[in-house]
Amino acid sequence: MSPLHHIGQTIREALMAIPLSGVRVLFVGSLVALLIWVLRLPNSETTPPGGAKRWDENLKLGASLALILQIIVYSFL
Amino acid sequence: MLLAANSHLTSPDYIVILLYLAITIGIGIAIGRKVKTGSDFFLGGRRLPWWAIGMSLVATDIGGTDIIGVGGAAYSHGLAVANFEWIGCIPAMIVGAFIFIPFFYRTGVYTIPEYLERRYNAGVRTVMAICWLLFMACNLGIMLLASAKMMSEVFGWNQPVCILVTAVLVGAYTCVGGLAAVVYTDMIQCTVMIAGCLLVLVLGIIEVGGIDELKNRLAEVEARQAATAMEVADAESPPVAIDTDRPLERTSLILPADTKSPFPWPGIFFGLALILSPAYWIGNQAIVQRSLGAKSDFEAKASYIWGAVLKNIIPLIVAVPGLIALALLPDLESGDVAIPALVNRLLPVGIRGLFVAAFLAALMSSVDSYLNSAATIVSNDFYKRFIDKDVSDERLLTVGRVTTAALVVWAVIFAFILTLMSEKSGVYAIFQTLMAFFQGPAFAVLLFGFLWKRATGTAAFIALLCGIATSVSLYTLNQKVIYTLLGWEPLFRVEEPFLYFSIWAFLVTSTLIVIISFFTSPDSEEKLKYVYHRAKLPNEFDNAAKGSVV
Repeated sequence: MSPLHHIGQTIREALMAIPLSGVRVLFVGSLVALLIWVLRLPNSETTPPGGAKRWDENLKLGASLALILQIIVYSFL
Repeated sequence: MLLAANSHLTSPDYIVILLYLAITIGIGIAIGRKVKTGSDFFLGGRRLPWWAIGMSLVATDIGGTDIIGVGGAAYSHGLAVANFEWIGCIPAMIVGAFIFIPFFYRTGVYTIPEYLERRYNAGVRTVMAICWLLFMACNLGIMLLASAKMMSEVFGWNQPVCILVTAVLVGAYTCVGGLAAVVYTDMIQCTVMIAGCLLVLVLGIIEVGGIDELKNRLAEVEARQAATAMEVADAESPPVAIDTDRPLERTSLILPADTKSPFPWPGIFFGLALILSPAYWIGNQAIVQRSLGAKSDFEAKASYIWGAVLKNIIPLIVAVPGLIALALLPDLESGDVAIPALVNRLLPVGIRGLFVAAFLAALMSSVDSYLNSAATIVSNDFYKRFIDKDVSDERLLTVGRVTTAALVVWAVIFAFILTLMSEKSGVYAIFQTLMAFFQGPAFAVLLFGFLWKRATGTAAFIALLCGIATSVSLYTLNQKVIYTLLGWEPLFRVEEPFLYFSIWAFLVTSTLIVIISFFTSPDSEEKLKYVYHRAKLPNEFDNAAKGSVV
């Protein structure tokens, strides 16, 4: 066993101590945090110069849709 | 081959395939007639629309290797492979869309290595350009081989002929039409690919008897395999308690840290979602290049968001068929033959042509992108940077086309070399290991340069080399012949631990950048304009681009 093996074993044991339900919270929580960040972006970052003339020109919509689908997937699978 | 029996294509199949090829190549060559300069060839004249780029992003990311490899990995290891298309893509695409991509667009660069020279120095640019070129050149061979295996196994076609014909067809329109031809043909290929794979998915679920029946059959397969493993273990060691709370690995996305599959959750979360995925979507030249060809920075952002929405359906059409194959054909010798065998069983004569077209679409959309991006790197990061700094745009177009043709020849040769080696390892594992060697260090260098003004060029250069050396060392030390020679246990407990290579290489690179930066002089104000918070004005970049050496 080398020092690398000891480091690896310590990290492995620490990670195995985390229950899978906690891991799921980590995955879903990260996606939720990203969704909140997207929703809080200023309009200048998510619409064309001069603002959105149609509802589908706001990129928040597409980004939120993609993330919400991901949140559903990682909540149940 | 065993699978080729009873799998001959009929006239309608060939008509579908030829129609698809004729449309694709016709469009590619028609676009090529408008290509007059290097800018047209490498960035589509910066006139590409967001919806075409978004579909091109998805088509490029899903290659022939994915249709065989992801389905094969799902067959061998379960649904967790879908993480590569979901959490391994979508969050990074969204962060990239709003932060990185519009920034790169405004700098006016052609390549990511070019950005790295502006931010750091020529050394970092050259190392990254070499890494990307090697990766893309190798990957071209892998993609050609994967496609040839598929066509050989399912349709009984001659494998060397498949490699040659695919290379010539894709090479022709990529050579003539450049990025615009790549993006518009990718759009058609994305549609054909989704339609063909969807057909396999729907027919597969019907054949199994529905989604609930699929779950039941997968649970039976897993139970049978666990029982077999227990019998083997009983014969060799004392009984071990079975953890009944563990999820069924075949149908779970999140697997325990001690799973035997290559996809334990720490690797997926820390290695894939936080490192490899952003490295790919933000730092991969083949991916980023098409967004640099958008009409505006807003359209570049929109293309990534559109791609992220489309990405949600990809695992359903490329990974789930692997699970269906497991339910229907649980005793195949390897995952690599799962999708060919499934297609052979499901698709009736006369409809296989659509799946072949879908497969060719997936393959061609990736090969054309890597060809064009590798040619861009050779032309801009080597020829223009080191051979002829004052090269005209027209001359650069010729260089790009000649390089594309040379890469086609190389890809064919490499594919033939690979046929001698690929039996020992899954195609997907080879692809991922190649990426893991330098993607972690590359992302660390890009990220620190982008966000931290104190990161210096010297630090980035040394850290990048050390990071790559870390990946290669870990890979080497984890080879059975090496650790046996040293009298060690394997360093990693999972099969194919490429995700862990990227984590460690990223951490080593990041640590070294921070430490060495504090021991070296800060970079000039000219370099710091390329730090995210230091440069917000597009005009500043316009002037920088005009005054740049490259």
